[in-house]
Amino acid sequence: MKAAIAKMKGETTKQSVRLVIVDDHEIFRTGVRRVLQSDGHWEICGEASTGDEAVRLAQELKPEVIVMDVSMPGTNGIQATRSILSALPGTKILLLTWHTSKELVRSGFAAGASGYLLKSDAGRDLIEALQTIVGGTTYVSASIGM
Amino acid sequence: MRILVADDHDVVRRGLKSVLDARTGWEVVAEVANGREAVTQAEKLKPEVVVMDISMPDMNGLEAARRIKKTCPKTEVVILSAHYTDQLVRDIVDAGAKGYILKSDAERDLVIAVEAVSNRRTFFTTRASEMLIDGFRHRGEAPSPQALARERLTSREREIIQLLAEGNSSKEVATTLGISTKTAETHRSNIMRKLELHSVSELVRYAVRNQIIEP
Repeated sequence: MKAAIAKMKGETTKQSVRLVIVDDHEIFRTGVRRVLQSDGHWEICGEASTGDEAVRLAQELKPEVIVMDVSMPGTNGIQATRSILSALPGTKILLLTWHTSKELVRSGFAAGASGYLLKSDAGRDLIEALQTIVGGTTYVSASIGM
Repeated sequence: MRILVADDHDVVRRGLKSVLDARTGWEVVAEVANGREAVTQAEKLKPEVVVMDISMPDMNGLEAARRIKKTCPKTEVVILSAHYTDQLVRDIVDAGAKGYILKSDAERDLVIAVEAVSNRRTFFTTRASEMLIDGFRHRGEAPSPQALARERLTSREREIIQLLAEGNSSKEVATTLGISTKTAETHRSNIMRKLELHSVSELVRYAVRNQIIEP
């Protein structure tokens, strides 16, 4: 896994990872954007505020990574993950939520997500979580205790 | 304009700071992660506006708003919450905050709210405004017994409700607040009597229902 991250890091110095942010809360999206911009290895190619919009945007932009909120009105993040991955199986999806429920984590992984990050840890751990899933390993917030 | 931001989640804080700093002439002078720090920083920095989350550990945004309005009457408060309830709007008004938006509201609403309160006007999220206007139409109706009980709570008691609901023992409450265990226990039994609660689990449910703590 370390080798995978190192390889990915080496590549991102030349080229940043294309990424889409999905969350129905605009203020939270802005916070995520700031965290990513301060790291400099990520190219935010789109933002969506609903699950349906995320599915459309993923098909249009084909990003490498999607940072996806779980709880959204209408199509939620887990349903959106399932439909995106059925069309674009190579996409790495990091689910974000406030909830520590292990059941929710299991449904997220069952839908094909690569990682699961608690929003309360996102300021500290978002970059590490993204580097992990881009490197090909799954990620779960330590505070969930799985 | 000098603004203080209080939220226990750093990504939300960064979002708020980014939106507010982007406005010409506005500056986020400090960021804090709980209500107690918000009160301390507000007293020290005397910002024009405090933008504050309602659910924070240790001391929540409502209690912090009450104290800030008491010690710095010129500072205006905008409250942010994740969820909406009609009761919450009443509590926010009672706490002296002039602005209230939901975290799901657009960034534009945040800017409008801050602008409004800095000009001594109010700004409430759409649903809250509808409820308040509706409330004026039904003025004169008797308040619920629980609402009356809540009004009888002292500021110290409200503070202790949160600490107890967060799982602290009377002894831990006493240490946090620098009071004796005996005094903490007296406060605790007064709270239980006033709210007609019989166990800590009922107190936790009360605290969650009234958004004093997050479930």
